[in-house]
Amino acid sequence: MTERSSDKRTGDTAAGDTADNSGRQRPLVRLLRRTSGLLRWTSLRLRLVVVFALVALTAAVSASGIAYWLNRNTVLDRTQNAVLKDFRKALEDSTRSLPQRPRCAELQDAARQIAGGPQNYTVLLIGVDRDGKDCAATTNKDLLTLDAVPKSLRSAVNEVRKVDESNRYPHHLYWQRREAGDVPYLVAGAKVIGGGPTGYMMKSLAAERQDLNSLAWSLGIATALALVGSALLAQAAATTVLRPVQRLGHAARQLGEGRLDTRLRVTGTDELADLSRTFNRTAERLEQRVEELSAREAASRRFVADMSHELRTPLTAITAVSEVLEEEAESLDPMIAPAVQLVVSETRRLNDLVENLMEVTRFDAGTARLVLDDVDVADQVTACIDARAWLDAVDLDADRGIVARLDPRRLDVILANLIGNALKHGGSPVRVSVRTEGAPGEGEAGGAAEGSGGGPERADAGESPRGADRAGGDLVIQVRDHGPGIPEEVLPHVFDRFYKASASRPRSEGSGLGLSIALENAHIHGGEITAANLPEGGAVFTLRLPMDASRLADDGGNRRDGGAGPERGRTTGGASRAADKGTEDDR
Amino acid sequence: MADVPFLLLIEDDDAIRTALELSLSRQGHRVVTAATGEDGLKLLREQRPDLIVLDVMLPGIDGFEVCRRIRRTDQLPIILLTARNDDIDVVVGLESGADDYVVKPVQGRVLDARIRAVLRRGERESSDSATFGSLVIDRSAMTVTKNGEDLQLTPTELRLLLELSRRPGQALSRQQLLRLVWEHDYLGDSRLVDACVQRLRAKVEDVPSSPTLIRTVRGVGYRLDSPQ
Repeated sequence: MTERSSDKRTGDTAAGDTADNSGRQRPLVRLLRRTSGLLRWTSLRLRLVVVFALVALTAAVSASGIAYWLNRNTVLDRTQNAVLKDFRKALEDSTRSLPQRPRCAELQDAARQIAGGPQNYTVLLIGVDRDGKDCAATTNKDLLTLDAVPKSLRSAVNEVRKVDESNRYPHHLYWQRREAGDVPYLVAGAKVIGGGPTGYMMKSLAAERQDLNSLAWSLGIATALALVGSALLAQAAATTVLRPVQRLGHAARQLGEGRLDTRLRVTGTDELADLSRTFNRTAERLEQRVEELSAREAASRRFVADMSHELRTPLTAITAVSEVLEEEAESLDPMIAPAVQLVVSETRRLNDLVENLMEVTRFDAGTARLVLDDVDVADQVTACIDARAWLDAVDLDADRGIVARLDPRRLDVILANLIGNALKHGGSPVRVSVRTEGAPGEGEAGGAAEGSGGGPERADAGESPRGADRAGGDLVIQVRDHGPGIPEEVLPHVFDRFYKASASRPRSEGSGLGLSIALENAHIHGGEITAANLPEGGAVFTLRLPMDASRLADDGGNRRDGGAGPERGRTTGGASRAADKGTEDDR
Repeated sequence: MADVPFLLLIEDDDAIRTALELSLSRQGHRVVTAATGEDGLKLLREQRPDLIVLDVMLPGIDGFEVCRRIRRTDQLPIILLTARNDDIDVVVGLESGADDYVVKPVQGRVLDARIRAVLRRGERESSDSATFGSLVIDRSAMTVTKNGEDLQLTPTELRLLLELSRRPGQALSRQQLLRLVWEHDYLGDSRLVDACVQRLRAKVEDVPSSPTLIRTVRGVGYRLDSPQ
């Protein structure tokens, strides 16, 4: 996500209307993210619902299927047995009274008699009359004729079986289920033993089928209800699982954003409660650890601050006295004079070092503050060069009249360090150029190129005023030398504290804090310094500061006040308020 | 004012006191020293020095408090000596009435230059007087009166008012004022100007919070106007 949005931004920069586009795209991206999040949530929900539904479906369908099957068999068997028993009895009863070769009319009577039973079936009797003619007597000519009886049934009925131990009769009663039209029928047939007529019956099973159909319907409805019920159940289960998961996710996100005091409310004893408890424990440990580390870091910072502070008192005395000694150096013994000179020059170096150390600790403790003024940049650069007697070695390309709102002392520190560094390592002529860049697009490119240390925060802070700024734009000061350039492996470290380009390089070349302090001073303005090598040789340092740092100074001041609160709140709290009031009254 | 500047140095650390005394004496000043604020205030009443160099960190009453007590009765120049270059100390120091400040470890020459610059502010100049509403600035007598009443201004406040009144209606930038009044180099701390303007307004204006004489010119600096 992050990657994509950053891609988008560079694309916009190319298009040239950054603020407009990114402003419109941001809600869209957020919406997309939210939708995808919702989808992700519902997918787990969906999975649960599907699984629940599948289980319910399987159970319901198999239960209904078995129930239906058993019911069907029972119902059909019972009906069938009753019918067949009745048919057999009626057939026996009525054929017993018949003569050996009955007449057709007699057969018809017998058939009507058989069909007259309570079971309400249709009967077909087939016999051979006295004339040796086949005679078929049916109670319903449309439904039951010999043709309507399946062939297989007919042959089975007519088949004569051998009579033996296991089979006592040559003929049996056979039955079959078949459909005529849309109605299911039970068809049965038997040959009366001893040359009697062959009897067939046909019984409609429509009533049974209707019963079974309504049973199937109610089973289907029950299955559907079970499905709906399972879906609802799955929803409920998903909610009870997902809500804690969501809360957990939210808490984890908060923790990731740095709110280490985030805790979850633990309810119940289930696995989720366990997880919440684990989360709380982890967060607690993390918080403890971070507190421990920051306390340790604060302690070591305070130590450096206190130390450099303590160094000042003896240094003040030594400095004052060494100046007196320096003035007397000419009148001293030629053996002693160099010693005095050494003491004087080393005292000066020690002064610089302590000064720089103090500066660094101020940045670390967040007590550094901007003292803004409207400054003609060209004048300021000239004065900086002039004060250090660098006028001959530096080639200045700056138009007068560029007025920026910044801290002149800090600008001087930056310039002195950059130019001093260029003179030391690059050699003269050092070329300093001052220009302004009004286009926000170009400013953006500078922001993208900036280093990792505190980068994003600074970039944000620098970006927002740029859009609304009345003056707008950046002040860009380039310091380039004509030396051998900066070795590639050193380039990423030039702003590191006490980083020396090579171990063999003598330590006397500077405090090792200069460029780091320059960078911090640029950062506190909401600016940036980048170092690069030129293709034609030599190194170039590019300082980029917003033309008006006043907004940043206010913000920075407030934030730093908060940060420094616990350490020095007692002494400085009131004072800073007084200072704020002073500025307000004033402007 | 004597030919040799007479300084009172209030500093609790023996080494610094001795070293600065030595250094300042060599620069041609007459120096008396005190180790605590209380001693310093006593010496101030007894010996009437031209200028006070005051350390901020003192046992007992601290430098800011000493500064405030001096300002209640006296308008003599005060230079703060601060080891804590935490910017907030500077602001508090300036608000308690100091004319200038020097950060430790201080170089003797820098301190000497500041002392001489502050002392120059009290020097008379032969010129006329100017009137701004009820405010009358007499440049030859080096006095300022408001509604006929004498105003007690420190030399720095007086110099600031003089420089502004010399160019009435014209805005002077803080950096310009720093050079004119404080004689600082190009790196002057503009808060010195702001603090001094605050103090001056408190004495000169009818309603200090809505000034009619010393006006702020946004993005530039300050300007002295005749009230309409």
